[in-house]
Amino acid sequence: MISHQEESSGRGKSGLLRTAWVVLAASSVMLAQPVLAADYTITGSSNTYLRMTRTISKDDLYPLYEYLRFSVSTAEKDGSSVSLHLGAWGRLDLVDKSSDHYTDGDLQYGFLSYQGAKNNLVVNVGRQFVTEGVASERIDGLYARSDFAAGFTGAAFVGQPVVTDPSYKGGDYIYGGRVAQGKTGLYTIGVSALRNESDVARDREEEGIDVWLHPVKQVDLTGRSSYNSITSGWMEHAYTLSVAPIDAVTLSADFSRINYSDYFYNVTTTAFALKNNGGVLDPNEQLTTYGASAAWTPKKDLTVAAEYKKYDYDIQGSGDYVGGKVAWTAPGALSLGGSAHRMIGDSERLRYYDYRLYALKKVGHAELGLDFYNVIFDRPIDGVKSSFALTGIAGYEVTEKLKVGGDVEYSQSPDFDREWRALVKVAYAFDMKTGEKGGKSEK
Amino acid sequence: MKSKLLILLMMPLMACVLFACANTNSGARIHPEAVTGTPNCTECHTDAYAAMNHQAVDFFKKHSIFATNARRSCNSCHAESFCSDCHAHKEELKPSVKYSEAVERTMPHRGDYMSQHRIDGKMNPASCAKCHGRQNNERCVTCHK
Repeated sequence: MISHQEESSGRGKSGLLRTAWVVLAASSVMLAQPVLAADYTITGSSNTYLRMTRTISKDDLYPLYEYLRFSVSTAEKDGSSVSLHLGAWGRLDLVDKSSDHYTDGDLQYGFLSYQGAKNNLVVNVGRQFVTEGVASERIDGLYARSDFAAGFTGAAFVGQPVVTDPSYKGGDYIYGGRVAQGKTGLYTIGVSALRNESDVARDREEEGIDVWLHPVKQVDLTGRSSYNSITSGWMEHAYTLSVAPIDAVTLSADFSRINYSDYFYNVTTTAFALKNNGGVLDPNEQLTTYGASAAWTPKKDLTVAAEYKKYDYDIQGSGDYVGGKVAWTAPGALSLGGSAHRMIGDSERLRYYDYRLYALKKVGHAELGLDFYNVIFDRPIDGVKSSFALTGIAGYEVTEKLKVGGDVEYSQSPDFDREWRALVKVAYAFDMKTGEKGGKSEK
Repeated sequence: MKSKLLILLMMPLMACVLFACANTNSGARIHPEAVTGTPNCTECHTDAYAAMNHQAVDFFKKHSIFATNARRSCNSCHAESFCSDCHAHKEELKPSVKYSEAVERTMPHRGDYMSQHRIDGKMNPASCAKCHGRQNNERCVTCHK
């Protein structure tokens, strides 16, 4: 399918091991720090999930998941800090042990971070998520950013791309950076670049421009254009304008344009591959979307919104998505909401209604809720016209740190007929801090 | 060759000078007030931070630009796990499954997504590819071989 496929599971494991070594070595130094530092904070959580579900071929699955998150940070008197962040999950299927995949797990992130007291300096090393212009990547490597003179900021990263699909080699190296210039609270304009390559191939070469304009309190414009240097074409333009003429009203308009041949270059599954690369997407297709929304907040915690989006394809035809939603949230007490939309597309698959209703009530230490999601197709899919999922939710706060809960879902869809699923979860948060005030959580 | 070497030597020097000249105070590492639920940042902020109002109808569309420009601000309230709950490179549980009680939050793939993904994938495959195009696609590969 894709020209740069290679067996890489061995490389992935060795990369993971290298990352684990770096993080463990650094953390051994790091863990001595809290004792010495004036202020330190330890936050962490354990989330255990037991899921009771069924495959499309009616095999019962009872996967048990454990998510462990841990951060320790020290705050020095000059305002700088050093911190270590680790997050990982593991899974064991309690019933089906027939395949090699009945257990699995992953290190989601594991990095050591230094944050300077001046110039918003950040230096991270380890497995991390980098968001810099065209880069929205998980890497095993080094990342640094800082403010410079005259309103300039700069960021750079280098490492190995973290990809998990066993049949895809995501390139040996990934590197890039972003330079931006701006005036705090007024505007920022950035240029960024990303390279992902191996000894034998240019996997990705992307450049981008991003803007954030906030000329007055009432107006906010964000957007990004990204360019593919390998295909020599614009991948995407995406911009959103928000205007708040009065405090209770927000108007928003957005525009995006995607060129398939440039955007879907060198993806890793046939689901997004172009026809000339073994997939189903037409490389000549271009999608332009225009959207508008208006939100009214007549009183605190109540929002009423109407929205419209136009999907305009060069080949496939077009579609209009229109609807609205209402949400009322009283923090810690009650959440109520609902939405309804209509999709009217040129193709039959793009003609449907979708609805959602939800309610969650907290009483003392307990919470109870319902969530209903429904899609009604104009033309039945596999004989099913209405696909829905109704979820009952319950939770109880045993202590400030320990919470138990779960949900039961009843659904019907083209793939599952009157299906029941359930989930039990136990969440435990452990925090310890000295000196520092404020709020931050693992959620 | 000499000029390239000179440029390579000059760049770190220039960076050091520009760094020294900037002399800005870093933003708050931890938000001074504990924030719960989905915050309306306009309640306290009147500057650019007000634009990050999480209750705004277009916040979800714009959050990637905020993460690029003000990641440190995000980190003042959110731990790294908050990003990885959705932006994972390998994940089996949907965010809406892990946090079913967070009914008010914008989360992808609510309800039965097996049938809906065929529609969304046809409507705007780029929106899928942002998270599943190059990573976090083991489940995609199960069928899309």
